[in-house]
Order: sequence, then structure tokens, then C-alpha cells
Amino acid sequence: MRAACLLVAVTMTLGACVRDEGSLIVFAASSFADVMRELAPGARINAAGSDTLASQIREGADADVFVSANESQAQALHAEGLLQAPAVFAHNRLVIIVPDDNPAEIERLEDLERPGVRIVVGAPGLPLGDYTRAGLASLGVTSILENAVSEEQSASAVVGKVALGEADAAFVYATDVASSGGRVRSIELPPNDVKITSTIAVVTETNRPEGARDLVASVLGERGRRALAVAGFTLP
Amino acid sequence: MTRGRWFTAIMIASTALACIFLILPLLALFLRTTPATLVSALGSPPARQALLLSLKTSTIAHVFILLVGTPVAYLLATSTFKGRKTLIALLELPLVLPPAVAGLALLAAFGRLGLLGGPLRAVGIQIAFTEAAVVLAIIFVASPFYIRQAVSTFEGVDPEVVAAARALGARPWHVFSRISLPLSLRGLGAGSALAWARGLGEFGATIMVAGSFPGVTRTLPLAIYAEFDRNLDTALALGALMVIVAGAVLMTTRVLSQNR
Repeated sequence: MRAACLLVAVTMTLGACVRDEGSLIVFAASSFADVMRELAPGARINAAGSDTLASQIREGADADVFVSANESQAQALHAEGLLQAPAVFAHNRLVIIVPDDNPAEIERLEDLERPGVRIVVGAPGLPLGDYTRAGLASLGVTSILENAVSEEQSASAVVGKVALGEADAAFVYATDVASSGGRVRSIELPPNDVKITSTIAVVTETNRPEGARDLVASVLGERGRRALAVAGFTLP
Repeated sequence: MTRGRWFTAIMIASTALACIFLILPLLALFLRTTPATLVSALGSPPARQALLLSLKTSTIAHVFILLVGTPVAYLLATSTFKGRKTLIALLELPLVLPPAVAGLALLAAFGRLGLLGGPLRAVGIQIAFTEAAVVLAIIFVASPFYIRQAVSTFEGVDPEVVAAARALGARPWHVFSRISLPLSLRGLGAGSALAWARGLGEFGATIMVAGSFPGVTRTLPLAIYAEFDRNLDTALALGALMVIVAGAVLMTTRVLSQNR
């Protein structure tokens, strides 16, 4: 009996290590988690910051499709032979978000320069963080970064800090506002030069190449375009 | 094969398995880069900033833990009252709480929308994203390590010695400062080292309550998390440093717990 228990335990442990041919594994930038869940209902979604996901793929994580919030992350992995050619599939834009009750009374971009306003931004290296810094530079208001109180490792973590009311404002993708469940509201940024380009690609070492290719085709196709448009993305 | 040999074989095989599983990853951390890279990565600004911040916040937190935790432990160890066991269990609860739950609990208490958030804001204090938040998180998760050890150490002081001192007219403060405390120093030191190490490694509650900003709230563990995405060498160097610190703390506690 005891031997049987041991055998079961060992088999389960080993089973967990063996790469199975089961459902597709999608590594999605946190901004795309919801739309990928809709487009690949049976898939397992690993949602995190694009740079965290890229690090995990470099460390040999079992992944089939990589959805990156920017182009450079995917291009770098492609150059290293870890990704097939990435395809541009969506554009986004940056907005300011504030908690529903807007304690710091933020109405326009300039209000964020007031001393004491607590702003959360994406960490440098995270696409959201890099876009934010580029956007503020193009608008000539990098001084706003002096009010930054936290650099988060994913877009969803940035939204979370504002939704909780701990931060007064943050810069996120326009499409992230819907996922907060109405606890934040958004303020448009003035027109700026930053073009946010998201990419999707099949992971070279995929264990499920057919499923991966089908998913990429579906995201780039009619069904994907419809879902992305509904979620608020701009299409290429 | 005789029964005895069979059992010995299992023990040896299990020990070998445990050694490989527990020691190999730590060794791999050091083998992943060269010592020269480790040293130069430790000198990089993000590493230095995190190191200084971690030393500062964990030291401040530790002063509070020792100053408040010692009398608490002494009271719990030397008096009997209704609900004493329950109180000890409640104070030890953070020991076994997942760090994310500790973070949620601290937000629910000190967050802007939390229980004490309103009153605190009324007097101009906001905890989130400050060094104070880091210190609070460390105290919350680390103090039970000290209190638990301190209670059992004070309980171990020979009651006859205390009774004799009392009979000779020593006041409670003198019993504590001249007898119980000196006899308990080793045990308290061991608890103190464990609590300090736990505080130094605190991650989950900190990232939820304090966020992550270089030089303000990005402590060593948070820097490892941030650098993992940016510069693996720095992350590995900081990781290796924490393994060394953890090893030193463990040695200290072992030495202090021996030959009472």
C-alpha cells in the first residue's frame, strides 16, 4: 500500500515535468490577457509584463505563442532565434488614469506636474514604461516623472495601484481602462508622437506548432480584428 | 536483502535526493556567472541602492521589533491569564500567512481606502509608496519570528532563580534586567537574527503596499525581481549575496542556540 502511494506520488511529480501535448500556452502581455482569453478559449494564458515573459522564454519556458506589447521585445527574441517572425497586429494609445473619486483633482496633463501628486509608471524596460517615458518626452513634460512613486513590472499592476486608490494617477494603455471594472477613469493625452505597436509570434521551440500557427492566423484574421476592435485597439 | 539494509538504503537515497534538490539550485546560482561579474554587478547603481535601502529599512524595523517585541514576549512568558494561548497564536499568525495576504491585510488597514487610511490622511500621512510602508511590511512579517523565539527563551529561565530573587526583594524590573534578560541573551539573539533575515527577504507585502521605486521602496528582493527583466547578471549577483547573508544568519543562530 505504502509502495503504491509512493509510486503515485512519483508518477505525478514526473508527469508535471513532462511537456504535454495538451492545450496551447500563450504568453501574453497583461494588456492582452482578456482579449487572448476570448480568442483562445482553451489555451492557458500566462499574463505578465512583456519583458518578464521575454525573460521566461529566454530561460526555456514552455510557450507556444508570444504576444508582446511592443515590437522591440519580440524582434530581439526573433534575432536570438527564439521566435518566428513577429507580426504587427494591434496599435494602442496612452492615457492618464485616475481613481474614480480623483482625490488629487487631476483634469489635464499639466495637473500631474503639481508637487505631491503620486504617480505610478511602468518600469523602464517594460514596454508600457518605455512608451510612457517616450510620450512624456515628446510632450516636453518629463518633469512629471519626478512625481513617480512606483515603477511597476506590468500594465495590470499599474492599473491596480490606481484602482485601489493608493496612487493619484498613472499612465496606461487606453485598453487597460475597461479591465479595471469602473474603478478608474481615463483622461486623454494631447496628441503625441508615440506609436504603440503590439506584435504576435510563434515561439520557435513550440510543442504545439499547428495550434500556435492557427491562433496567430486567427488573431490576424477577421475574428481577431473584430475582438481587438471591440476591446478598443486600433488595427494596423 | 535484510530489513535493516533496506531501510539504510532508503535513508541514504533520500538524503542524496534532498541534497541534490535543495543544494543544487543554490550552487547553480553561483555557477551561472563568474565571480568577477558578480562583484561588478554588486557595484552597479541599482544593486547598491537596493542594498543600502534594505539595510536601512530592515535596521529601523528591527529596532521596533526588539524594543516592542521583548516586553511582549516577557509578559506572555511570565504571566498566566485567560486567552494567553489564543493571543500567542494570533501574534504568530503572520509566520504562516502567505506574503500576498499580509500585503492585502496591510492595505486594508493602512491603505488610503483602508480602516486607518482616512484618519491618517486627515493628519497628512499617506503610508503607501513610502519607506514607512516598507518598514511596516517588514515589522508585520518578521516580528513573529522574534516574539515566538523570545517567549520560549523567557519560559526557559529557571523559575526557582526568579522566585529566589523575588523572595530577596527584587522588583519586577530588576528581575527582568538582572536575571531573565542576561540569562536569555543567546536565545533572544537567535530570534533576532531569524527575524532580521526574514525582514531582509520580505517581498510580497512590500510590493503590494510600498510599490517599487529605486532608492525609496525597491529593497533587495524587489530589485532582484526588477532586474530579472532587465539585467540577469545583477539579479544573479543580488541573489547570490542574499544566499550568503542567509547562510551567515543561519550559522549565527546555530552558534547562539548551542551550549546554553
